[in-house]
Amino acid sequence: MTQRRIDWPDLLFGLFLILVAAGTFAATRKLSHGTAADMGPGYMPRAIALGLLGFGLFFAGRGLVRAHAGIARVHLRPILGIAASVAAFSALVETAGLALASFAAIVIAALASRESRIVEVLLFGIGVSAGAVLLFVKALALPVPIWPW
Amino acid sequence: MELFDNLLLGLATALQLNNLVYCLIGVVIGTAIGVLPGIGPIPTVALLLPFTFGLEPASSLIMLAGIFYGAQYGGSTTAILVNVPGETSSVVTCLDGHEMAKQGRAGPALAIAAISSFFAGTVATIVIAVLSLPLAALALKFTAVEYFSLLVLGLFAAVILAHGSVSKSLAMVLLGLLIGTVGIDVNSGVARMTFSVPALADGLDFVPVAMGLFGLAEIMANLERPETRQVVSQKLRDLVPSWTDLKAAFPAMVRGTFIGSALGVLPGGGAALPPFTAYAVEKKLARDPSRFGKGAIEGVAGPEAANNAGAQTSFIPLLTLGIPANALMALMIGALMMQGIQPGPQVMTEQPQLVWGVIASMWTGNLMLLIINLPLVGVWVSMLKIPYRLLFPAIVLFCCIGTYGISNSVFNVWLMLGCALVGYFFIKVGVEPAPLLLGLVLGPQLEENFRRAMQLSDGDPSVFVTRPISAVLLGIVVLMLAAMLSPTILRKRKQALAE
Repeated sequence: MTQRRIDWPDLLFGLFLILVAAGTFAATRKLSHGTAADMGPGYMPRAIALGLLGFGLFFAGRGLVRAHAGIARVHLRPILGIAASVAAFSALVETAGLALASFAAIVIAALASRESRIVEVLLFGIGVSAGAVLLFVKALALPVPIWPW
Repeated sequence: MELFDNLLLGLATALQLNNLVYCLIGVVIGTAIGVLPGIGPIPTVALLLPFTFGLEPASSLIMLAGIFYGAQYGGSTTAILVNVPGETSSVVTCLDGHEMAKQGRAGPALAIAAISSFFAGTVATIVIAVLSLPLAALALKFTAVEYFSLLVLGLFAAVILAHGSVSKSLAMVLLGLLIGTVGIDVNSGVARMTFSVPALADGLDFVPVAMGLFGLAEIMANLERPETRQVVSQKLRDLVPSWTDLKAAFPAMVRGTFIGSALGVLPGGGAALPPFTAYAVEKKLARDPSRFGKGAIEGVAGPEAANNAGAQTSFIPLLTLGIPANALMALMIGALMMQGIQPGPQVMTEQPQLVWGVIASMWTGNLMLLIINLPLVGVWVSMLKIPYRLLFPAIVLFCCIGTYGISNSVFNVWLMLGCALVGYFFIKVGVEPAPLLLGLVLGPQLEENFRRAMQLSDGDPSVFVTRPISAVLLGIVVLMLAAMLSPTILRKRKQALAE
């Protein structure tokens, strides 16, 4: 690893925690706080968020001060491929049925890897989708439509 | 003899035909995912959880437990034959196990690994049975105050003994606790942080969170590396180890079993710590330490025994106290809660056939593993020929279907996707996701007990240090934290956890 002026992993993790804490304070601002003996619904979330804020500031501060490693390169293709695959499944499963949703999920997920081969993926997709329908709908009785019609 | 009565009750449950079948299913699936690198037991158990709804609680836990220790077996098979540890716990087995395979002694290595695992599994089952009684009796004295302190101790211990930076893991526990508070507040009925999403009213399901963080995020990170091809060059001949092999392996087996049993009970110990410790001990005790790494049979027997014993005894805190020792045990707690069983000390007295059935099933399961692993080793190895480029889309699909299946909700699938992206971020910034899962599962109980304790004491926090059991538990937390600040222990911990 090359020497950088900023410890990116620490800084980013710290900022992430600060963001979550801030979000919690915003989301719970209408909830009553209560007292220690009789806590309101807002007591625990805010107490935890306070702790997170502390950790976040600590990591972010340390990240800025300590010279350390950078972050390994982010590859977009796997992230986008997997995300699109899961998204396609959720969009399709209740409207188009499990068979098509499974097939779409397999084919789109395969796009995430550079090593996938088209014909192989299509055949594999058909096979696994059929298997999934048999296993989950027929054998395990998952209540979900198989086909769009 | 209460102990024997309990074991008999457990055996009666475990030997029911349907439970034997579920145990077999569990260990077969476990072995398969243990052999396949890239899928661990955590996403697998999470995936199967929704389908255990319909089963009896005992059957479901027996099957899920089988997956866990089955994975330890499978992981060592690939470690020996192809130098690929299927699970983190079998990393050490690669060192001497694969070396033995290279010298043409793959058969004895596999046999010794299996025999050590079986031996350790048998002893660990007895250890669990013996230790469970006094622990459960102690736990029955617990009120909300003690229970809160115990949960705190469990969380801290899990963080300190596990991999990764302690401060980051603590932050992750808090994060888990925070998302555990999402949903309708039990005491006031007010919706907290649900952002007006009706699906969030009951809180976040931990299955999508676990699958996103552990399953999908892992795949995203795996795909960044080019696929490596595994070649199985070894022909398997005589599986039977020679008498000298057995004699050399036996003491290591016994030592490994005890190390594993002891470390497995500790929260955070789980499956990773025991084999490393056992290997280190064997190397230190050996007359000629230079043999290690060059195919020493003790280097296979010790860690394999420790690994299996640890995997099993990590059920002790779960079964007796309702405290998960690691992320996988947290999922087991989830499985119990899905069955409508509130995990905790009372489970032992209220559901004896469940607890003892699971304990006894570990022994039957280990016997099954011995039978399906040794003669069928060729079948498992041929599974390695499935290329990752086909494996991962199937895993993605099964994660989707499994998550959808918990409550037939598309929302959960989106939630899993969100968690996958966050999980990828965690991998990139080098943070372990396991503590988050512990926090998420224990969060509601922690809050509940804390609030009840504070109500009892009229808002006076000193109650946690004035009650003796609670004070001792919290004292251990303070000691552990203080120890973490000492530089020598810090260095030792780094060595112990270094892979």
